[in-house]
Amino acid sequence: MKLSQRSHLQARSGKFIRYCLLTFMASAALVPLYLMLAGAFKTQEQFLSSPFGIPLKLNFGGFKAAWTDQFPSWFLNSFLIVTGAVVLTEILAAFAAWGFARYSFKGRETILGIAISLMVIPPVVLLLPLFQFGVRLGMISTLKLIVIIYVGLMLPFSIYMLTNYFRTIPVSILESANVDGASSMRVFRSIVVPISGAPLATLAVVNLLWAWNELLLALVFLQDNEKKTLMVGITGFQSRYSLSIPTIMAGMVLATLPLLVAYLFAQRFFVAGLTAGSVKGE
Amino acid sequence: MSSLKIAGVANRRQQSIYSPKEALYWIAPAAVVILFIFGYSLVSLFSQSFKYDGKWVLFENFSLVLTDPNFHTSMQHNLLLLLNVPLLVILAFVFAIILFETKRGMSFYRATVFLPYVLPIPVIAVVFGQIYQLHGALNVFLHSVGLGNFAQDWLGDPKIALGTMSSVIIWKEMGFGVVLLLAHIISLSSEVYEAAKIDGAGFFRTHWSITRPQIKNTIIFFALIEAITMVSWVFNYVYVMSNGLGGPGNATMVAELYIYRSAFQNKAPELAAAASVLLFMATLIFIVVFFRIQRKSISSMYKA
Amino acid sequence: MKSRKIFMAGAIALAMLLSACSTSSKDASSDETMAYPTENLTLNISWWGEQEAPGAGKWLDETIALYQKAHPNVTIKQVLQTTEGLIPAFEAAAAAKSGPDIQYFWGGIYTQQPGWDGHIVPISDYIKADELSHYINGKVEAGFQGKIWTAPWYVNASFPLLVRKDILTANGLTVPTNWNELMKICDVLSAKKITTIAGGVKDGWFGGWIYSMLGAQSIASQKDVINAVVGTTKFTDPEHAGWWTKLVESRDRKCWNDDINSVELYQAQQKFVDGKAAMTITAGPDAPNFVKKAGGDSNVVIMAMPAWSDGPNAGKLGTSSQTLGVTSWSKYPQVAADFIKFGHTTERLNAWYAATGSLPADDRFDMTQVTNPATRAFFEATLKGIPYLENFIPAQLDAEAVFKNVQLVLKGTMNAKEAAADMQAQMERLRKTDRKVVENFTAWSK
Repeated sequence: MKLSQRSHLQARSGKFIRYCLLTFMASAALVPLYLMLAGAFKTQEQFLSSPFGIPLKLNFGGFKAAWTDQFPSWFLNSFLIVTGAVVLTEILAAFAAWGFARYSFKGRETILGIAISLMVIPPVVLLLPLFQFGVRLGMISTLKLIVIIYVGLMLPFSIYMLTNYFRTIPVSILESANVDGASSMRVFRSIVVPISGAPLATLAVVNLLWAWNELLLALVFLQDNEKKTLMVGITGFQSRYSLSIPTIMAGMVLATLPLLVAYLFAQRFFVAGLTAGSVKGE
Repeated sequence: MSSLKIAGVANRRQQSIYSPKEALYWIAPAAVVILFIFGYSLVSLFSQSFKYDGKWVLFENFSLVLTDPNFHTSMQHNLLLLLNVPLLVILAFVFAIILFETKRGMSFYRATVFLPYVLPIPVIAVVFGQIYQLHGALNVFLHSVGLGNFAQDWLGDPKIALGTMSSVIIWKEMGFGVVLLLAHIISLSSEVYEAAKIDGAGFFRTHWSITRPQIKNTIIFFALIEAITMVSWVFNYVYVMSNGLGGPGNATMVAELYIYRSAFQNKAPELAAAASVLLFMATLIFIVVFFRIQRKSISSMYKA
Repeated sequence: MKSRKIFMAGAIALAMLLSACSTSSKDASSDETMAYPTENLTLNISWWGEQEAPGAGKWLDETIALYQKAHPNVTIKQVLQTTEGLIPAFEAAAAAKSGPDIQYFWGGIYTQQPGWDGHIVPISDYIKADELSHYINGKVEAGFQGKIWTAPWYVNASFPLLVRKDILTANGLTVPTNWNELMKICDVLSAKKITTIAGGVKDGWFGGWIYSMLGAQSIASQKDVINAVVGTTKFTDPEHAGWWTKLVESRDRKCWNDDINSVELYQAQQKFVDGKAAMTITAGPDAPNFVKKAGGDSNVVIMAMPAWSDGPNAGKLGTSSQTLGVTSWSKYPQVAADFIKFGHTTERLNAWYAATGSLPADDRFDMTQVTNPATRAFFEATLKGIPYLENFIPAQLDAEAVFKNVQLVLKGTMNAKEAAADMQAQMERLRKTDRKVVENFTAWSK
């Protein structure tokens, strides 16, 4: 009796500590975002006098200033680049992964291993030669070049992830088609792709997130003011509006909104995608 | 496990059906892009690192970089940032277990802790840059709760600026670890935990001697990913929070920024190339480890 | 072998002949007799300056419209660059040898370096010497071995100290006339928790300004600095290192806002406008705007940094001109030069003043239209200004040694001696890494 009481007490205090820690963790994660969101609706004076206060009167001046700046064109550029890069990567990676998963050839594991290891190379190492290449061909500030670079950098992980998945497709599903003598292409198109919806979507989410948030390459390869992406735009935005924190914060909210909405609606894919690289290989 | 087994069998069987040459058609398009982005770049980079103004100068560029105190500082800072890795691992492990033990509100907390990982680094850096100003939100808060003595010039003081930067990196990266480890813990068989309960093992003992060994590989994977991050993915934080200077002084200078500034600010592409080669060599260590882990996991699929 | 020598000799003779012809004829022919193209053509301008001279964009649009009206076959497009994007964007264009026809450059090293790199053609090849001689600071900053790289556009007084009389009077103080008086003001105001001078060094630039304002006081001319760059003197010599001790003194006397290390310059200047700081430092073209915002001429005095030495340059404003250059890949350099010259017609000079309230870089500008006596005195002081120091050291030294060491000195983690020693060490390093710096700077100083 006494013993169980004690353990009950222990469990309760344990629970209390647990929830304390969780609350601390959640607030640490959310308070900066709250400051950003609340700050965006304040005036400069309100922000300086009480950064933590709730904006009682909503001020849309910051949003207006941000939006009438170059936000629309930054959005468009980011959208075009990200869409192009993600779609291309999806196609190329699926092909290659199918090649690795379904064919057996000498040195396959080594090639695959090297290709995958490439994801460890810091992009900054590739920056200079690629920039010089772009300059020679007059491709700086073109969307084409940056899309190709993004595709190249996203491919190693994408191939790795899809190869792992394709290898788990039960052979019985493929067998029937093989008996019919269908070509590899037909099997791929009519059987593999349709049942791979979830991993393909997951991969798209991961790559989308990466490309949307990329700064270093965009900074170097998109010099033209009209070609800048959202991330490059907001980096300079900070200095330009250093006198109006609400405008800065409004800009940050606008830049985050698409991702935030996507995250809220497709959390499953985000979590699945970003943990898919784990050694366990699902 | 069973699905992996089938995959292995399937592979062996397919050999007889498809000709290996056909694989080339499938892989070639991706291979061309990868060879261009990585192969071409690395070859061009290596050759440039031995040249100045188009002429061969052997190791002159390397010796100039290696004798540059700025380069030393940058590399030291990357090494210091590696100290974030054990911290991240511990934090992620603790919170993953807490979340695992929490029934009510678990998915809410999980979504919350993961949220920072989804946000763009430039946005995070701008927002934290504001918060960490001398008269910014954090110090306002500290003063208002009577902890004014702890107020600092977070990003303006060279002694603590790198630590401040680290706090932002940890803020963003921790959620990734928590979700990663939690996913693995949830997938563990519940029987072991039942048995432990019957044995009367406490909270700490259970997780230290049962959970930890079982998710060891995932922990290593997370540590590896974070180590790579600290060496080759911190440019965005530093660039945005120090206005591209790596300041105050050189307090937040890192290898990536050193290369970027050499190439595009100081117009010394040959030094940038040499520094890039050195950074590449340093990351080779990670590549070797990574390659080994990958091979292990891939070959284990077939053995299973 | 022999034939090659003969060929060389022939080529040299031919080149000499050509250059002789061109020097004798170019001045006369370049802009008048050289046929002005009649086909349709487009010029691109990449510029900066709206940031420090608000209204510049409006003036540029007007100027383009007027020029296009006079030359219907010419279309001109302009792009305003961001502060951090100005130089990288130009470097990328230069590497690709395509991009703007007319490019904006800051003065001194910022116009020399592109010239040395072959990215621009000397403007003196396309605008006559007697016209160019009116362009302020052209020779001092953009001159190189008898040529002039770029054409000054507007003048940047570098840099005026703005002083609020209301704050000084309220504390029983008067406008300082020398360095020691300024330090005493710092003592009085800091005791009352009022900022004396508002500044921000997080983004770096302001460090270069302070160097120029304090460092110029102990040298005779820009040649002294160039000597330290090429190595005949050292940055640790008293004439080059003395200003660091003054910076340390200003820190110890608590002259600056406590958050100078964590804010950008523009944020700090706002404290002056809000009446929370007695003084601040602004870009020259922007100074009249700040005066207006802080209570007008009756309240704000525009002055040079108070003198701490008795050198010939102490207590004087610096002067620098922001310039426009013609790129080496431009297909129509003479049209580009003609457009730049058009900006210096009387009507356009007056329009510049009307649009921005700042001084165009032309000594033919009619000063009588500046009715405000304080502004006029400011302009006249600017015309007699001393060289803007920061423009005569390599940009890399400026960023890596000046910007960064000013940050550290102001934070108290570096002393004056260390700062000077580090600047010297970095210069010595730079001579090894930039293998042309000595040659170029030596040629420049001649």
